[in-house]
Amino acid sequence: MADVTVLPQVRPVNPAGQILQLVPGVLLLAVIGYAGKVIEKSLGTYAKAHHLTVPNIEYVLWAILIGLLVSNTVGVPRVFRAGVSTYEFWLKAGIVLLGSRFILGDVLKLGGVSLALVALELALAISFMTFLGRVFRLRPKLTSLLSVGSAVCGVSAIIATEGAIDAEEEDASLAIAAILALGAISLFTFPLIGHALQLSDRAYGLWAGLAVDNTAEATAAGALYSDAAGKLAVLAKTTRNAMIGFVVLGYAWYWARRGQAQAVGNKSAFLWQKFPKFVLGFLLISGLATYPVFDKAQLTALANLSRWAFLLTFAGVGLRTNFSEMRKQGWGPFAVGAIGEVVIAVFTLAMVVAADRLLRL
Amino acid sequence: MSSSKDAPRKGRTWGLSIDEWAVVAALVLALLVRVGILRNVPW
Repeated sequence: MADVTVLPQVRPVNPAGQILQLVPGVLLLAVIGYAGKVIEKSLGTYAKAHHLTVPNIEYVLWAILIGLLVSNTVGVPRVFRAGVSTYEFWLKAGIVLLGSRFILGDVLKLGGVSLALVALELALAISFMTFLGRVFRLRPKLTSLLSVGSAVCGVSAIIATEGAIDAEEEDASLAIAAILALGAISLFTFPLIGHALQLSDRAYGLWAGLAVDNTAEATAAGALYSDAAGKLAVLAKTTRNAMIGFVVLGYAWYWARRGQAQAVGNKSAFLWQKFPKFVLGFLLISGLATYPVFDKAQLTALANLSRWAFLLTFAGVGLRTNFSEMRKQGWGPFAVGAIGEVVIAVFTLAMVVAADRLLRL
Repeated sequence: MSSSKDAPRKGRTWGLSIDEWAVVAALVLALLVRVGILRNVPW
């Protein structure tokens, strides 16, 4: 019998259908995020009416907790999944709109400080994670992915590097699972440590932006501390994200020299392709806000739109975190990631505290 | 040279990545606020 080549069926692209598929999940994000906001307000009102002193738990934490509860009990039904995965879109739109809350001069000043701290953090994170990977005898490309994930920006950096160094999909999945699990832990530990050390909003925000890996978790960890800390966490994390192209290019060059990845052709095109475009959007909106294209009421409207976008993001962070799925991924990468994260967190904390004292951030 | 690394990033929807769609959406919202179609966004 002659070989029969079965061609994959190509489903017709129907834009309206694709958008409709997103609606249930986006509504779920909105409902969970808004429920977090209602709970925060209701508890505050109740405590005030009954003269109770209770800690103010921000909507951010409620939204994440409700999402975690759904994801780890009943799970996220298939009909909601496409829409829930849009949380990354809302995160990046929220970051661009957050640019309206920064004067360009502040961005340049704080961005400059962040850039210097990010350079130190990158050097430490990459060299220490590489060392740990060797000690734990992880596969070298898995170690590279974990290094990039913890040094730059979590999942996006791992996905960008996976293609650039021809890594196995399994290694990328292991690295992503480790980074996501550690990000979930950071959400609960960072604010507690920040309060225990009585860090200023600026110092804490910078620390969260430098040490928490995934952009969504870094934004949430900052917002859990205070509104001002959330702003700084996003700025520091955005500075880190801007480095992604250079780090991935470095790894691509390293593995190509060892004959285990294809060489990069046009380096400028490679850098542009990997560069996170929302960083440019953030700077553009910040520039428009500085040379007052918007009046005060309009700036408030933009800031509130950013908050709504983050509200959907935080619900998505909870919904996409499934602990039983993470447990299946094995302890080796998680252990390397965890030890590395603790060291990076301590190192970046020391840097930020020193910068806060020396430069009066 | 054309290699897998030089190829457009995977996961593009209608020609744009999530990053690019997020920037487009945010700029459209900023424009709507600027021209007064979106005003008094509550929080």
